[in-house]
Amino acid sequence: MTLGLFLLRRLVMILPMALFIVFCTFMLVRISGQDPIHLLTGPTASAAEIALVRSELGLDQPIWAQFGLYLLKLLRGDLGNSWITGDPVLGDVLACAPATLELMIWGVLLGALIGIPAGLGSATRPGGTFDQVTRTLSLLGFSIPTYWLGLVMMFVFFYLLGWAPPGIGRIGMMHSPPPTVTGSYLIDALLAAEWGVAHSAFGQLVLPVVCVTIIAAAPIIKQTRAIAIEVRASDAVRYAVASGLPLATERRIVLRNSATPLLTFIATEFTGLVGTTSLIEYVFAWGGLGQYGLTAITSGDFTAVQGYVLAIALFAALVLLVTDLIVIVIEPRASLRP
Amino acid sequence: MLLAVEDLHVHFISRSLRNRLRTARALNGVSFRCEAGEILGIVGETGAGKSLTAHAAMGLLRPPARLIGGSIRFAGRELASLPDAERRALRGREMAIVVQNAKSSLDALCRIGDQLIRLYRAHRGGGEAAARARALEVMAAVGIPDPERRMRAWPHELSGGMAQRVLIALALINEPKLLIADEPTTGLDVTVQAQILDLIVGLARERGMGVILITHDLGVVAHYCDRIAVMFAGRVVETGPVRAVFGAPAHPYTRALIGATPERLTIGRGTRQAGPPPPNLYALPEGCHYRDRCPVAGPECAAPPADRDLGAGHLAACWHAGAETSAAKLLQSRDGSA
Amino acid sequence: MTADPAAEATAEAGGGTARIAPLALVVGLARRSPTTLVGAAIIAAFAVMAIFAPWIMPYAPDFGFADRILQPPGAQHWFGTDGNGMDVFSRTVFGATYGFGIALPVVVVALSVGVPVGLYAGYRGGLLDEALMRLIDALRVFPSIIVALAVVAATSPSLLNIVLVVGVLDAPAFARLVRSEVLGLRASNFVESAIAAGNPTRRILFVHILPNAIQGAMAQTAVRAAWAVRISATLAFLGIGIQPPAAEWGAMIRQGAEFFVTGEWWVGVFPGIALVFMVLGLNMLGDGLQELLDPRRKADAR
Repeated sequence: MTLGLFLLRRLVMILPMALFIVFCTFMLVRISGQDPIHLLTGPTASAAEIALVRSELGLDQPIWAQFGLYLLKLLRGDLGNSWITGDPVLGDVLACAPATLELMIWGVLLGALIGIPAGLGSATRPGGTFDQVTRTLSLLGFSIPTYWLGLVMMFVFFYLLGWAPPGIGRIGMMHSPPPTVTGSYLIDALLAAEWGVAHSAFGQLVLPVVCVTIIAAAPIIKQTRAIAIEVRASDAVRYAVASGLPLATERRIVLRNSATPLLTFIATEFTGLVGTTSLIEYVFAWGGLGQYGLTAITSGDFTAVQGYVLAIALFAALVLLVTDLIVIVIEPRASLRP
Repeated sequence: MLLAVEDLHVHFISRSLRNRLRTARALNGVSFRCEAGEILGIVGETGAGKSLTAHAAMGLLRPPARLIGGSIRFAGRELASLPDAERRALRGREMAIVVQNAKSSLDALCRIGDQLIRLYRAHRGGGEAAARARALEVMAAVGIPDPERRMRAWPHELSGGMAQRVLIALALINEPKLLIADEPTTGLDVTVQAQILDLIVGLARERGMGVILITHDLGVVAHYCDRIAVMFAGRVVETGPVRAVFGAPAHPYTRALIGATPERLTIGRGTRQAGPPPPNLYALPEGCHYRDRCPVAGPECAAPPADRDLGAGHLAACWHAGAETSAAKLLQSRDGSA
Repeated sequence: MTADPAAEATAEAGGGTARIAPLALVVGLARRSPTTLVGAAIIAAFAVMAIFAPWIMPYAPDFGFADRILQPPGAQHWFGTDGNGMDVFSRTVFGATYGFGIALPVVVVALSVGVPVGLYAGYRGGLLDEALMRLIDALRVFPSIIVALAVVAATSPSLLNIVLVVGVLDAPAFARLVRSEVLGLRASNFVESAIAAGNPTRRILFVHILPNAIQGAMAQTAVRAAWAVRISATLAFLGIGIQPPAAEWGAMIRQGAEFFVTGEWWVGVFPGIALVFMVLGLNMLGDGLQELLDPRRKADAR
């Protein structure tokens, strides 16, 4: 009951923001001055044909009416059709999302597995050798352009060493995707016991995931270090030391008290990684949502852009919601009531 | 002798923006003793080094504070040279501290009962049940009503006074030989304050626990303590039995602290120093540190004063101490008759 | 611990900031934090490269030798030649001009938008403040690269436009910082007494609050410049932004992308390395600046 109320309140809070975002994207598209008609009709269309398509799409209406029309369609779950391929945007977005999620989840998971211990280690002796090295590495992670890292990796591991498969897509040419259960090719292939497919999917996954991991780990290291230093200096930890609790207990208290801020940070980091992942997808022809969005933006396919933007916003809202729910579980001070 | 601190020097060493070393001489030869079953009050203005002395005695200094010299002997063992692990075992077991900031010092993510049990078992081992029984016992002893229910409370659910009592319960759960209480009653109302101090004094008398009570409140010292140590600029400038020191304050600073009216002491009103600024620890005057503020300073004060024995354990670090006692007595008797 | 001389000591050191001679400050900072020194050295090297590019470049950055296409690095072309026969070394050196040419104006735009907004929002508070902060929150949902890409694609990929878009997207970082500083300062005694003394709002904002609030923003400039260099290069890499054959690093990596899998690595690797080092240098410098100037970071010193 309380949970229901909490979710409802959240939904009410998200709605105006979602509306605002939809509005901004819509306006951005309209002010761009690009006329999509020619994309749709082709260069040979006559003036009458163009006018017909224009009125079919409602593009001859005033801009407010167009926005209202778009919202109405949106409420019915219709994101419109791509101006370039003509496919429904909703279907495209849903088809692409698992690929992106697979990449991001592995990347953030591994990034956290590396970043959190490194940051905690850094914080035990700020200014020490380990801290200096880790901080420099983390700065390097902040500074490497994602796409370039992907390209260099491809050059080294595909071209030079021949260890990695060509960076095209999520699965080798010889295999077909496994039956969908989770959406992750690797996990689905393992579930279906298609070992060859699993092997291929794993091979395709390694380089992009390593790239996302490196890019994701850098801020996690920095933030973990900052949080842990703050927690270590807190009254609670100083008191734990003063009351002679064993070192292991002290470490556990530090870790436990860092958990909430860390989790919140990783959640925002997760949504922020959408951009990074898009570039990785672009370089590795991953075929995910990020690549879909980038292609849509660069080619001027604006219904697709709108769908993509909406998908990102909903994804971010969902991640933040889940984070808040986890925080409520692990943090005695938090509660479902605001 | 339970605790004997001898000529303790602690400096804060930091680097200026120009990379020069800056040294704040926070403790400059602190010496005092505390016997088993004795209550020693340490008083002095903010920045005099009271808390720092307590932290140094507990082995809780952290950079930029550094122990420069001196000896801390606890029950015959030299603590300054004791390995870290052994000091950790002593803290919370043999010597316990009640810190300021009670609410923030408790582990926010651990229920009160679990914190008590955790501390008990960390030092004594044993089963959950024994620790729980002891926790309930000590909670009742410090006057926490309905201990069973409070065991399950989270720190953020406690009032300030209740948190303070929990902190005292934590300090007492392992029946330490020495209790250092750093302003244990700040922020509590007068009745609660009296309750808690009565409790501590009671335990000292019953179990022969040594108590070091750090406070701003001279009334508290007069009422509860056996001996007093007055600190100024990182030094004990006067120490002795409470009666002797209050009866015949030998150091000009002690006299300034007490003020001329003895009624203040019996009423128990706080004597916070409001007037002159605390001395600059980066540039203490040569000789007597109180020289700049002292009404009776003369040329001889350019040399550091040695402790003068005024009999019955009453010591004062002032060149004028011996000669001034009679004058002080005169002054006091005049005030008394007026 | 109320009686913590460490806190007093740090506060005192902070109070002295304004009075310290710049040179002594630099020397002291360098000794305290070698990272900052290395960062400053890298940026200085790039600045030299950008200023003296015409003398350093052995060839014109946009001249293609038709007979020397995709030559590997060697004595004639140190970094080899690209698919158009242009000298990669000359192009990489010239790229530094774009790096600074974008980063500096972007930071200026971001400061001149973000600081007044933060100042005003923080000082006035109320509905406007609330609305601005909500707007910034809404923007934060989207990765900045996506927003920049969408806006630049929807408008025009001219250099001026890129600077404006990236600058405006960078402004919220400054606005937030300044706002939180202002909120703290507003409640402070000296501002309250300035108000009580009957100073006009403008005077209070610019004389009493701004000089104190801007320190944190200034500390962020190097890091924000690093971000600007990165994002503008990314735009160029995606083909929305500075277009080849302009010798911009991102555009050069785009040109070199196809050659990574066919073995002509030098086309894309060298501009990438230059880009990494410039961003790294700015980040290292920024890290030191933050530690030095950001009042909240000073607590770390404990």
